[in-house]
Amino acid sequence: MPTLQLFVTCLVDTFYPETGQAIVSILRRLGVTVEFPPGQTCCGQPAYNAGLRNEARPVAEHTIQVFEAAPGDVIVPSGSCAVMLKHGYPELFAADPRWLPRARALAARTYEFSEYLVDVLGVTDLGARWPGTLTYHASCHPNRHLGVDRQPRALLAAVRDAVIVDLPASEECCGFGGVFSVEHPELSAEMLQRKISNLQISASPTLVVTEAGCRMHIAGGLSKQKKPQRVVHIAEVLNSR
Amino acid sequence: MDIFHQKIRQSIADEALQKALDGNAERRVKSRINAFASLPNWRARRQQAHAIRADVIEHLDEYLEQFIQRAQQNGIIVHRASNAAEAVQRVFEIAENPKNPRKSATGLLFAKAKSMISEEIELNHALEAAGQRVVETDLGEYIVQLRHEKPAHIITPAVHLRRAQVGQLFHEKLGIPYTEDIPTLVNTARKVLREVFLNADVGISGVNFGVAETGTLTLVTNEGNGRMCTTLPPVHIALMGMERLVPTLDDLALFLSLLPRSATGQKLSVYTQLIHAPENGQQKHLIIVDNGRSKLRNSPLKEALYCIRCGACLNACPVFRELGGHSYLGADGALAPYPGPIGSVISPGLLGENFVQLAQASSLCGACKEACPVDIDLPKMLLRIRAGKLEADSGPGGLGLPGVVKLALSAYSRIAAHPRLFSVSQKLAGWFSRPLPLFIPVPALTGWGYSKDLPKPAAKPFRARWEESGKIVESGPVEWRQENQETVDTSFPASLSPSLPDRFATELTAIGGHVYPVRADELPEKLIAFLRERGLDRLEMWDEIPGLDAAQLAQSGMRVQPFPQGAAENQAGLTGALAGIADTGSLVIPGGPGRPLTASLVPAIHIAVLRASQILPSLEQAIRLPEIATAPASVLITGPSRTADIEMTLTIGAHGPAELHVFLVDDAAGK
Repeated sequence: MPTLQLFVTCLVDTFYPETGQAIVSILRRLGVTVEFPPGQTCCGQPAYNAGLRNEARPVAEHTIQVFEAAPGDVIVPSGSCAVMLKHGYPELFAADPRWLPRARALAARTYEFSEYLVDVLGVTDLGARWPGTLTYHASCHPNRHLGVDRQPRALLAAVRDAVIVDLPASEECCGFGGVFSVEHPELSAEMLQRKISNLQISASPTLVVTEAGCRMHIAGGLSKQKKPQRVVHIAEVLNSR
Repeated sequence: MDIFHQKIRQSIADEALQKALDGNAERRVKSRINAFASLPNWRARRQQAHAIRADVIEHLDEYLEQFIQRAQQNGIIVHRASNAAEAVQRVFEIAENPKNPRKSATGLLFAKAKSMISEEIELNHALEAAGQRVVETDLGEYIVQLRHEKPAHIITPAVHLRRAQVGQLFHEKLGIPYTEDIPTLVNTARKVLREVFLNADVGISGVNFGVAETGTLTLVTNEGNGRMCTTLPPVHIALMGMERLVPTLDDLALFLSLLPRSATGQKLSVYTQLIHAPENGQQKHLIIVDNGRSKLRNSPLKEALYCIRCGACLNACPVFRELGGHSYLGADGALAPYPGPIGSVISPGLLGENFVQLAQASSLCGACKEACPVDIDLPKMLLRIRAGKLEADSGPGGLGLPGVVKLALSAYSRIAAHPRLFSVSQKLAGWFSRPLPLFIPVPALTGWGYSKDLPKPAAKPFRARWEESGKIVESGPVEWRQENQETVDTSFPASLSPSLPDRFATELTAIGGHVYPVRADELPEKLIAFLRERGLDRLEMWDEIPGLDAAQLAQSGMRVQPFPQGAAENQAGLTGALAGIADTGSLVIPGGPGRPLTASLVPAIHIAVLRASQILPSLEQAIRLPEIATAPASVLITGPSRTADIEMTLTIGAHGPAELHVFLVDDAAGK
């Protein structure tokens, strides 16, 4: 079994360390050697998405260097951060012959977590058990920018005792969008409200995501409205038994 | 608060607008997806379309030269305009030529079909300022013109309005009793605008595609107003963005399979006009407009020029769903000529920095790219605008963002480039157990709290837990089984392959047409019986329709009157057809001497005689019929004229015929 590098991402690191723990547990149980390069920070996405490329570049260079020194594939538990590494870095260094090959090399070995389980390791049944109802939010970055949708759904379908219900308009954006949610809070709020309403229609108490940004955003909305539903990362579901 | 943000709040608070936009998003997206279900290889077609558009934009000069040369050979007078002012000037020069025949004694009357480029160059404004009368004739455009508004959507201009608002408008402006009955509203517009078509001095239209190899102008419409504007006035001026070319007729067939499906969920629009040459003494002018396109073509936003203006990205966009087309404002408060995702790219791309703030009004969700029939990477374009890549490959970043947001983000980026600083700030955040402004600075400073609580940083971040890694691992490996990966089945159920005439009849009937299968020997008798039964005795008619003798009709008391003499009286138009298309239920109707295009346009009822042997499987075969490239103009007719401009409610019978009857002659003996 391979050795791989966990890029835990700043949001998971700071706000959802239990997601990182669940990922390590799952991968180790599968016999994978998980490493965590301690120099890692943020992928640079906040500045990049805002258009601040000069500010994003040093962060990207730092991340490239950190993972260059480490062997194996790079696993990211948040779709948009994976997109940043896979598509953002090559765009960021498009005109930089020194960094572009290094950015591409990292992009080629970067995977979103559920994508890695299903497409690389070929696993869908992790022996997980979740006595209750679950519904899945198809976050934009994994779904549209990476084409990762059937993988998390297949993983959830294999969870014992879980009743998976449809989330209406599952693929609709929750309105996070990084700097968008701050620069356009009114628009973001409307989109979030539709997501929360659809979650209520689904009648599921638990919403599963593969994207830390959506989790923070939707959970923040639910908390503000004092709603009982909670948002979990798919790794936490897959690690439960 | 700046004017853009004010406008956003206003739109969100406007309940009627929100209802209209919700309806648009929900129905348009569904109808697009349904329409693509009938195109099994659409993914491959989409990639092919992308490649063709890329090739056209890459070699635009050569394709333009070929296109202009062909169009001129065909007798179209071609003009070039480098900017909006020049384009408007050309229109004035053409329209005011004293040698033109004049229909109206005072001032000129312009009948205008829908054209986004005319919005871009603000043609109406210029014409009206000069004292000319210009009337928008697309129902949606007509409504917004009466309201002194600009279109709120590039395909459905009145998408922001509910039927009650249109009822009130027509009551006030046209003097009819207040009604919310959509057919009554449509019929009112039909009557008013009929006079405009018949009396206009100049018809103005856009162009959906120019075909380089043949010089063809292609126009795709549903109501019939586009055909009226291009066919009836003595002068027709077509305005075209310089990028709107496809190389060949085969390529055109490909794009015609994508455009109507993406725009309105139709397999083909009701009228697909293929115009080559002027007819009946009409003057045809084509004004090819640059207005920033050459600049855009040499910029990192080049891909935006692949756009075919279908509006699918608007319908798919969650931000457009909140805003509608009237909220896309520049820094100076000016309305962007193109709204939605594509508008947030081409408006700044064509018109500059005033509109860059639109690029920040996106969550980068990618629904636009997914909906785009030519796979334009709109999120990537939006990111490039934000990064200041409007022209050269460098520029100040963070366009359209307030200084404080930029400051916060660069501070965070500086921390993130240094792992120790990062770790320390994270620890601080944990100690305070609340967000430290430096760590997640942006939400803390501005709008996050508007609708959500901030997350609580964990007391111990992941990296700290990793260091105590013994605690991370739970139990040993568990048994797991490997399952086959699910594969997406994109194949379609094997067709039961009904015959071509059956498919043609099924398709045409589904969109409101009528098909009457007849034997060749019984055609005259059945047709005359139909006319009698319906009381139709004033006809416009082709000189020759195989199997039908005009003398026989005359003996039965039918009076044939050509256009324009019979324009007001003729109840039905009787035509043959060049071909039928089974896939879409379309008729291919060529123009030319003895085959007036008005016969299938002006009367309220169109009756066509089609032989079963003329039916071809699909548009790909039909577009290659030699007559398509040689006739002065042809039209593919796919059902009776229709509009859905009021609340997306389909109404049959707009400006073109409200009824389409096809006598399908069984001449395919032995098949």
